[in-house]
Amino acid sequence: MTIVQDAAVAAKPAVKSASGLDLRTRFLRVTHLLFLLLLGVQFLPDHAGVSEPHTVWLIWFAVILEALTLAITPVFKKREGLNLFLDVIGFIYGFLLVWTLLTAKFALLPAALFPPFGKVLAQFAEDLPKICVNIVSSVGIILQGFLLAIVTAIPLGLFLGWNARLGSAATYLSKFFSSIPPIVYIPYGIALLPSFRSVSVFVIFLASFWPVFAGTMSGVLNVESRILDSARVLNVSKPTMLLRVILPASLAQIFLGCNQGLSVSFILLTSAEMIGARDGMGYYVKYYSDFGDYTRTIVGLLVIGIVVIAVTFLFNAFQRYLLRWKR
Amino acid sequence: MSTAAAVQALPKIDIRHLTVNYAEKNHEFTALRDVSFTVEEGEFVSIIGASGCGKSTLLSVLEGLYKQADGEITISGEPLEGTGKERGVVFQHYSLFPWMTTRKNIAFGIAQVRKDLSKKERLAIADTFLEKVGLGDFGNKYPSQLSGGMQQRAAIARALAMDTDILLMDEPFSAIDAKNRIVLQELLLKLWEGNGTEPRKSVVFVTHDIDEAILLSDKIVVLTSHPGTVAEIIPVPFDRPRDRSTLVQSKEYGKFRNHLLHLFYNDIADRIGGEEVVL
Repeated sequence: MTIVQDAAVAAKPAVKSASGLDLRTRFLRVTHLLFLLLLGVQFLPDHAGVSEPHTVWLIWFAVILEALTLAITPVFKKREGLNLFLDVIGFIYGFLLVWTLLTAKFALLPAALFPPFGKVLAQFAEDLPKICVNIVSSVGIILQGFLLAIVTAIPLGLFLGWNARLGSAATYLSKFFSSIPPIVYIPYGIALLPSFRSVSVFVIFLASFWPVFAGTMSGVLNVESRILDSARVLNVSKPTMLLRVILPASLAQIFLGCNQGLSVSFILLTSAEMIGARDGMGYYVKYYSDFGDYTRTIVGLLVIGIVVIAVTFLFNAFQRYLLRWKR
Repeated sequence: MSTAAAVQALPKIDIRHLTVNYAEKNHEFTALRDVSFTVEEGEFVSIIGASGCGKSTLLSVLEGLYKQADGEITISGEPLEGTGKERGVVFQHYSLFPWMTTRKNIAFGIAQVRKDLSKKERLAIADTFLEKVGLGDFGNKYPSQLSGGMQQRAAIARALAMDTDILLMDEPFSAIDAKNRIVLQELLLKLWEGNGTEPRKSVVFVTHDIDEAILLSDKIVVLTSHPGTVAEIIPVPFDRPRDRSTLVQSKEYGKFRNHLLHLFYNDIADRIGGEEVVL
């Protein structure tokens, strides 16, 4: 009994501070101090040996980021969420602060390999149309290969998983095929298929197919028997059983496979693009690093990071929507 | 017309010499032995017995989920084969699909028996049945958002909305807290008794709660355990509509309940002396 009471007393102040975030906890934070510091540092004179530091670009970037941060801050209701958000922004400021000092201001790092961040931003703005073309190319290939994998692997996994006798043989086969790193399909793909694009789609298809297939199979094989009984006593037809009972019941596992397939796809595609493509984000990075243009290389790296995060975020949002019935 | 009359005279469910043997790790054991009883048209039959008496096995046989049974079962004169559209089922857990809202769950059930209705009509029927079980405002909730009692209400609504002749209920209220169980029993009783305009459904209701069985049933089948055999088939002598409070106060009720308890404890007393006893 005393333990319960102690817990209740201990929980009380925490609950109170979580619900009522005062102005101090919202706005008086280290993150904003870092912003001011970053801004102040920009007014130091640039090092003579650094060409085109584009300090104005950095200032604009930091100001816009800070404005957005301040605008979003009141939305947070819980201390944990706000802390996480401000910590991430703070890290960005801190990183840019160190970057600025090491490059534009004191030139402690070799300028060719480490361009100032302002220059990276300016380059990004200049190349934006080109970058968009490359993003569209890369994301287009991934979507094609990945969607092709989904529309084949899920029905096949459902069918074979449901016919359990065939299913166990398929599990071993899929173990074998998924153990082959998909990148080694590339040379054979090039021999089989006419263009780089079709080879990429083919390889991404293979790379996503096995995890999605394996996820679907294990989802189907692990559907609770009580759910199946409940459907059986309703006399559902076989297609209804597969599509409206087994499919949703195994959806969480299917998504596990899809997430795996998606992350492998990005690794594969960017690698493949560095080998033999004429466009795409991997190509952009490889092409300019061959010329020693490391500003563009860094632009490419950052853009790839942003694209992967955006696609993953959208996919996760889709997943949360479809699995909204799960507590 | 004469054939219709003949069919009418047949029991709705006729179980004869039902025996179920389970094979379990080299040794076979008998879950049910030579169980025979009938359920008449519109009759509410409860099956009671201690845990392990095979009452749930008996119901899975009737549901058509368990097929390795010996004996003869007919439904309206036809031999039982697998699951059937004339039987609606409410389980103790997981009758509803967690990915469908309650009204979609019910509409899905209706769709399996009424292909002729449009989606809109099915949803409209679902809504009226949700209303009947007191879940009018919860149609768009997922089962995980509902309490156990509300989930069972929705499961009952689905079974009723499918309008099957037979209702099979496998301890539907045993996972519900005592207070809500009483509410649900009364709801079921009210819905089953109806207003006299429609024929009552034939119900097989499995429970280990003696009071629940007496309140609801026309007839109680008491099973003994290891193996499950019929100890006694007892008609319930109380008039309908029944009211719990007046029923429990009557002298006859006490006598009747004692008789059932006696059957229960005899069975348990037989088993004391080694085996674990679970009521």
